[in-house]
Amino acid sequence: MAALIRSLRAVRSLRGLGSAVVATTCPASLYGGLRRGFHRAALLASDSKSDQTVPPPSHHEHYQAQEPRQGSSTFSTEQASASDPGTQHEDPWPNTSYQDQSGEQAEDYETEDQLQARILTAALEFVPQHGWTVEAIAAGAETLGLSAASAGMFDNGAGDLVLHFVGQCNVQLTEILAEEHNQVQLGQAEKKKTADFLRHAVETRLRMLVPYIDTWPQAMSLLLLPHNIPESLKHLSTLVDDIWYYAGDRSTDMSWYTRRAALTGIYNTTELVMVQDSSPDFEETWVFLDNRIRDVVNMANTAKQVQATGEAVVQGLMGAAVTLKNITGVNQRR
Amino acid sequence: MTLGLTLTANMAASFKELPRRIVQIRNRSARFGPRNPLGNSTFRTEVSAYRCCSGAAAGRSTHFGFESVPEGEKAERVYKVFESVAQKYDVMNDAMSLGIHRLWKDSLLRLMNPQPGLKLLDTAGGTGDISFRFLEYTRSVREGQLRHRARANQTPSWQEIAAGYGSEGEEPAESRAVVCDINKEMLKVGKERAETAGITTGLSWVVGDAEELPFNDDQFDVYTIAFGIRNVTHIEQALQEALRVLKPGGRFMCLEFSKVSNPLLSRLYDAYSFQMIPVLGEVIAGDWKSYQYLVESIRRFPDQETFKEMIEEAGFFRVQYVNLTGGVVAIHSGFKL
Repeated sequence: MAALIRSLRAVRSLRGLGSAVVATTCPASLYGGLRRGFHRAALLASDSKSDQTVPPPSHHEHYQAQEPRQGSSTFSTEQASASDPGTQHEDPWPNTSYQDQSGEQAEDYETEDQLQARILTAALEFVPQHGWTVEAIAAGAETLGLSAASAGMFDNGAGDLVLHFVGQCNVQLTEILAEEHNQVQLGQAEKKKTADFLRHAVETRLRMLVPYIDTWPQAMSLLLLPHNIPESLKHLSTLVDDIWYYAGDRSTDMSWYTRRAALTGIYNTTELVMVQDSSPDFEETWVFLDNRIRDVVNMANTAKQVQATGEAVVQGLMGAAVTLKNITGVNQRR
Repeated sequence: MTLGLTLTANMAASFKELPRRIVQIRNRSARFGPRNPLGNSTFRTEVSAYRCCSGAAAGRSTHFGFESVPEGEKAERVYKVFESVAQKYDVMNDAMSLGIHRLWKDSLLRLMNPQPGLKLLDTAGGTGDISFRFLEYTRSVREGQLRHRARANQTPSWQEIAAGYGSEGEEPAESRAVVCDINKEMLKVGKERAETAGITTGLSWVVGDAEELPFNDDQFDVYTIAFGIRNVTHIEQALQEALRVLKPGGRFMCLEFSKVSNPLLSRLYDAYSFQMIPVLGEVIAGDWKSYQYLVESIRRFPDQETFKEMIEEAGFFRVQYVNLTGGVVAIHSGFKL
């Protein structure tokens, strides 16, 4: 055991040696990023070559299988050829974008975010049991083979889980609407009227909440926490914007705002009704939705009528005034 | 004249050692790593590094407070320091930090937010402060979960009863803490404290060196080292050992004194450290030198950003740090992904 530990330490000191070499040859500005990149390069190199190294945790190997682009970006720089000839990976998408100075490894940035997304998606199945809490995230992490301590990665805890879910639902809705739009363009489906389209879109989106409807009030309260409001408002506004876009709205005047405001109101109120609805398959919710959409449409029509009527009334009054002036002889024009 | 002679004699001695070391490195690289085409230039830079590091002493030297000592000696001297302060360690902590160290340790636990069932390795845990807090925290979370579960089962529907027949309800698991320290005296004091506090289950005491932990790979969910890593001779090795013993997804957390950024606070802090603390050490524990070492070793420890880079070098991801008390203390956290 001690001999194994000592040999491992020897390998690690060699890796340290490798990075010390890079330290003396790299320009200072790229020092930080490249040094880490080469550390990983040395890690991959020694792992692939010698059997006496510590096998990376299964998760790393999982990544190496899944993400061919990570770990190889720095090979594309000119320094790589000098120091590590033995392991040139094929790299179809060289990812040389360095993230901000917070120090995340460039080639792992996508992997870390993707890993977080995967943990949160896995955590969703534990939500009915644990609610929207850090416990659900910990349980989700465990199904992926990670320790429950990795739930500490999420600074916002349960808020991260809810926002991830909302984002996921919005993406799904956009895909469905885009697909239907394609079908209409190809002529395989009929184009719906605006009111019907809105109803269909809102119903599809709300049906995605059905598996979590028991705990949804908790999620809504999390979304309303002050530090979560900017994010949740952003999700809501993109949702409403997408629905109107696929409904065919290309307006550039005031109606752009009024339409989105109206749909936001419809969506939020219908969501609230749905949460306390106990009818089979949420029939009452859809009836409520129908009524609200009809109200909005009526309001739009009424607004147009009021404007037309107003114009007519104004013209009538003007005519009456001219006639009166003629009769009384005030009008000078003869 | 004689001074010149002794100097050249020392330098000759150190030169003789260098070729031997180069041969060792060459052999190691031949066995383990890829062939380095830069070849000789690598070893030349390493040799020059050795030359400027070793100077007049034979072998690598490191810092022990503001002194410079050979590496081999540092571990021994640190051991002696903690051996002598062990009995009065907790009292001195309270006196020096005016009790604030308890808040620091509580912050560490709150940041960790451990779920029940996790395994903690408390390295340099000494008297066991972190482990006691960990067990208390997870136990209260566990009780909360059990209570919640009991409340949810108050009026089970017949479907739930039928579903519950097969599985005997998975209870949230018990958490365990292992306190590892190189110093037997500190562990002894810790064990006595555990007995008085009445903590009997879920706690183990292990003697071990942070640079060479006596555990297998992938054992622990959380690794903490509170106010211990600045005493380690090779910090990188300690970090690598931490990476080794953590499970995938495991968390590394380090609570340590760090650099104060605010200049006014920094001056007050320096004055307090160098004037008050050794005096307190002499009065309460009868040991001026150990507490002089303490405040000096704090000054020698790298600052927040440098340490964060060291942790990333070791292979941890999502490394972040939080300053407490204006930078007097910093909590660094990283994940093994």
